[in-house]
Amino acid sequence: MNKFFSLIYLVSSLQFIGCAQSTATRWVDDIVPDSSLDDPGFKICNAEGQVIQYFNNGQAMEYKGEKYTLDSIFFSEYKSVNKPGETGLIRIRFIVNCKGESGRFRMIAMDAEYREKEFDKNITEQLMSITKSLKGWTPKVWKETAIDYYQYLIFKIESGKLISILP
Amino acid sequence: MKIFYLILVFSLINQLSFSQPNCNAFLWQGDTAQFTACKLLEDNLNKHYQFSREFHEWVDSAITICPRFAYAYREKAAPYVKSGNFLEWKKYIDLAVKYDSLGYLPVRASLRYKFFADYKGAIEDIELLEKIYSGDIGSSSNGTYHLKVVKALCYKKSGNLPKAIQILEAYINEENYSSGPYDLLHLGVMYLEAEDYKNAEKYLDLQNVKYEFADTYYYLALLYKKTGDNDHFSLCKNKAHDLYSINQRMNDTYNHLIDQIYHQQILKF
Repeated sequence: MNKFFSLIYLVSSLQFIGCAQSTATRWVDDIVPDSSLDDPGFKICNAEGQVIQYFNNGQAMEYKGEKYTLDSIFFSEYKSVNKPGETGLIRIRFIVNCKGESGRFRMIAMDAEYREKEFDKNITEQLMSITKSLKGWTPKVWKETAIDYYQYLIFKIESGKLISILP
Repeated sequence: MKIFYLILVFSLINQLSFSQPNCNAFLWQGDTAQFTACKLLEDNLNKHYQFSREFHEWVDSAITICPRFAYAYREKAAPYVKSGNFLEWKKYIDLAVKYDSLGYLPVRASLRYKFFADYKGAIEDIELLEKIYSGDIGSSSNGTYHLKVVKALCYKKSGNLPKAIQILEAYINEENYSSGPYDLLHLGVMYLEAEDYKNAEKYLDLQNVKYEFADTYYYLALLYKKTGDNDHFSLCKNKAHDLYSINQRMNDTYNHLIDQIYHQQILKF
């Protein structure tokens, strides 16, 4: 039985490699460095293969002044773009390094039916700009080492208005 | 006949749980493709982190063996919900629901409200589940809430506070009610928002009998502030502060919880 499974795995892996060798990363949703998008000044502290997820240390999102402060920044700085149809979610994902600096920002968005969506630039550029300006990320420690981690913010937008921020 | 009934009951229990399915149940049903795919994952998934390429290669193999194996799609979806990737998550969780609605509607409902603030979608999923399954619809995927509590919270967040109160209070008064960690707190807060201070106090106090959290005392302080009871206000505010400082508060590894409060809110009183 084990041989049978191994064969299936081998065949399937070959298919996987054949189809997706160029895009397969260590972990799903890993952010590959891109010199055309990324700030050359941003460096991670450890190896690419050691970047963990924000929840891996069991501490959820860590920001100076907690989520309350982060919410306050967005709700005071974001200017609503009154536009019907500008409804859905926008996710900005990035890496926080061991010094609490952030970089490699990537954005995806969807409408209310989970279909990929392109929001008005006035909305996305504001959210990206505020996200990049955040200075309160707390460096995370895992197994006694200051580590680099993936963090994301999801913005719930209704008719151009910021409704809530996740996670 | 008894054995058949036992298998059926076991399969249903399995369908409403969120862990790895019992592979033998597929074998008993004569579904060898699903059994083989299931065994493949049972033997291999626990060796790899669910974000890893290796984990997904095994899941892809299981899907190749049996493209209607719902559990494989749920596993495929899992890391995407945790990275906030709503597009990929929805693609895979919808397939899990397509091939096993009873098993994965509860998962989709509890994740779409929790990770994506999709209250309308969660209500639709839970109400569909109630339509197709007459038994206990069970708990959210991480076990924090019964799905009836999730439904009540989603109605509240959709702006229908009376319906939220009605659902949650009816659930709490069920004969076999088993208290979740925050159920009574949420009902107390709902009454507070409805400006029914008597019921708000009743349920927040009941919450403290079960489990004490800084958050509950924060809302009690808010209530006493509104009703002008300064002595109780100070008492509850200080208690909220003390409990917060020892981390005895609403907490979740992934997300902010509905009604969760932060230290600055206590300080701002």
